[in-house]
Amino acid sequence: MKEIVFTVKKDIDVPVELDSLLPVKLQEMSAEEIKKIELPQGNKKISVEELFNLNIEENDAIITPKVTINGSSMKLKRIGEKMEGGEIVVNGDAGMYVGAEMKSGKVTVNGNAECWVAQNLKGGEVIINGDAKDYVGSAYRGDWRGMSGGKITINGNVGTEIGEYMKKGLIIVNGNCKIMPGVHQNGGIIMINGEVEGRAGGEMLKGAIVINGPLKSKLPSFEYEGIVEDPVIKLTKKDEGTPVKGTYYKYIGDFVNNKPKGQLYLSVEHNDLTC
Amino acid sequence: MEYIIKNGTVYDPTNKVDGEKMDICVKDGRIVEKVSNNATVLDASNKIVMPGGVDSHSHIAGAKVNTGRTLRPEDSKKDVWQKEGLRKGSGFSVPSTYKTGYQYSGMGYTTVIEAAMPPLIARHTHEEFVDLPQIDKAAMPLFGNNWMVLEYLKNGDLNMCAAYVAWLLKATRGFAIKIVNPGGTEAWGWGKNVHGLDDEIPYFGITPRDVVRGLAQVNEMLGLPHSIHVHPNNLGHPGNWETTLDTMDCVKDIKAKPKHGKRDTVYYNTHVQFHSYGGTSWKDCVSKGVEVAEYVNKHDHLMVDIGQITLDETTTMTADGPMEYDLHMTNGLKWANCDVELETGSGVVPFIYSPKGPVYSLQWAIGLDLFLHANSDKVILTTDHPNAGPFIRYPRVIAWLISEQYRKDWIENRVHKWAAQKSHITDTDREYTMYEIAKITRANTSKVLGLSDDRGHLGLGARADLAIYDIDPEEKNGKKIEKAFLEANYVFKDGDIVVKDGNVVKEVFGNTIYVDAKINEELEAELMKDLEPRFKKYYSVNIENYPVQEAYANQWEPINIDATEIK
Repeated sequence: MKEIVFTVKKDIDVPVELDSLLPVKLQEMSAEEIKKIELPQGNKKISVEELFNLNIEENDAIITPKVTINGSSMKLKRIGEKMEGGEIVVNGDAGMYVGAEMKSGKVTVNGNAECWVAQNLKGGEVIINGDAKDYVGSAYRGDWRGMSGGKITINGNVGTEIGEYMKKGLIIVNGNCKIMPGVHQNGGIIMINGEVEGRAGGEMLKGAIVINGPLKSKLPSFEYEGIVEDPVIKLTKKDEGTPVKGTYYKYIGDFVNNKPKGQLYLSVEHNDLTC
Repeated sequence: MEYIIKNGTVYDPTNKVDGEKMDICVKDGRIVEKVSNNATVLDASNKIVMPGGVDSHSHIAGAKVNTGRTLRPEDSKKDVWQKEGLRKGSGFSVPSTYKTGYQYSGMGYTTVIEAAMPPLIARHTHEEFVDLPQIDKAAMPLFGNNWMVLEYLKNGDLNMCAAYVAWLLKATRGFAIKIVNPGGTEAWGWGKNVHGLDDEIPYFGITPRDVVRGLAQVNEMLGLPHSIHVHPNNLGHPGNWETTLDTMDCVKDIKAKPKHGKRDTVYYNTHVQFHSYGGTSWKDCVSKGVEVAEYVNKHDHLMVDIGQITLDETTTMTADGPMEYDLHMTNGLKWANCDVELETGSGVVPFIYSPKGPVYSLQWAIGLDLFLHANSDKVILTTDHPNAGPFIRYPRVIAWLISEQYRKDWIENRVHKWAAQKSHITDTDREYTMYEIAKITRANTSKVLGLSDDRGHLGLGARADLAIYDIDPEEKNGKKIEKAFLEANYVFKDGDIVVKDGNVVKEVFGNTIYVDAKINEELEAELMKDLEPRFKKYYSVNIENYPVQEAYANQWEPINIDATEIK
């Protein structure tokens, strides 16, 4: 398989959209064809040649189509959008919508990411090794049908409203989280290992949020169920369950809705029942 | 510019032309008898020629349409439209203004009526009209829940009511009297609704029957081109067909006296599909389409449009606020509600008519029941855009009507079994002819709107609004029919070619039609004495700032009515 390496060669002011640089598609193209691809930049276009130094390496060790972007910045948007296979590695920061509407494959960002990481993710995996901003794994603006599968891992901190309208899949945050993770959540699991500012699971109906750090302020519309040890989180009747290690206060909510089934787990170690 | 369209198969029901091969001459924006030798020749052999389409009920501009756009960014994302040389647009069920104009034009439509304009927000509607290319348009102000109307009717003062209607039509540059859930939207302001023709409207103490009858009488006193345009009570509730028939029946003794156009009906029931439900709940709901169609066939005083469900994801929007609230409670999706001071109110809710849903499939079948059992002189094709489906699905509805085979394919493979079980669509093998399609999209609409003098037909002197479709009149392949009507071969607007093979080739800006009914000066002075204190006391705008100014159209097309005999 070929590894296609793009190295940014000039500074840009206006962001460029990279949704046409998908690994599987690029595999079948020649270097000349790739260089001629026009990328939208604001209301104009810029060619791959103008923006990147292109390097194609044949490498038998690689078994899936692979694209690497070196020297990336927040100005490069929509990396891996609607991707259906292969792997993208971003060295540097990634702009908005990295991995949005992705169906399968893997995107790794060795840096920070802007808003809307893996918006409406359908499958595959997105890993951000730095921080991410707001709306990780959320629905498109206005839509009530959010992320429907796949896995997102953020190794740094995240912003607000992650997993908004999430239906299925898994979001793991190893750092801290701002307000309203899992707002309107409708399925899937959000796991946060750091500190959460508050309002976890606002208006959630289904799914689960596991918080291993402190939740600074819990919504009053969640009902306390009791202490659970090493729970197996079942989201539906047929679900085999996802085992989680630890001791948690378990809540059901959000009771601003009728008959909610959302589960909220707060680690006993970092949280206080009376708060 | 002169054109001669040669050898087309022409369908022009107004002039009783049924599939004759003939030449049509166009000069200076009108249909003429002959043209000079310099005329451009268009060969239309093996193609069909129809007058430009006229849509009598569609929500294309104004406050609630824009609320729909704001409420649904995800709908915008669904359909992004960009073509060389034209304005870009987006939106599937609530498209932006330019896209609306281009797409209507691409289907061969040349005149479209916006079905509900809150008078206070008329300026917004007209502002959007200014940016709506390709078609002529008009808007119908809402009267059915207006305080002034309700008060005049309560006092039995039809003359003053007529004066008010005439004044409001002129002030808002409106076209006809639209009535939505008479009394119900007003009751909604009190947290209530009305559920039958004889329920009392809170505070005013009159009933929807008084409102419909009163406004129908006022309509004929003024002699307006169009009849009252009614969306009766109980929309979308199982068992509502009786209310619908009651409402239709309550105006049958009134005689049509239009002072413009050739209308002979006094009542127009819009989206009758939503009003033809039997049973008591969604569990035992059945189609009453046949019963309603039979009533329509037997009576001369009314005309209906269908509001055919197209089984798409769409955005519902109506001035029937309480109905939209019910809908939001049923599907649990987001909603917006908008109250317009003393005049009306509206609601917006996204809706997914899934073909797999039993109720939606039944609704789809009820629309077709009505089409297939009604006399084609009495029905009009609409989808109540965007309530039952977006207007770009008209070609698909046409395909269902023309081809029994295509309809069967949907019944057997696409929709839920309730469609066939609870309706009568499988009882009939009726197929619409091209002549009938021309009736339900052109001739009937232009006649009932009172615009048939120069629209909706190809007689001498008519506007050169016409559409050429590349299709064999005997074609039964649903997909082909759909494509032919979606992408018109040629479309003329006022004598210019504006569309070629479904693509807009020339951007034109049509007229805005409105009714200017002149009333007796003394009566008007009396009306003003009534209105001025009301505006001071209750309205958020001054009466001087209320009327829509001259600048709010690309070109006005007034219909002048003399109603000075009302004293």
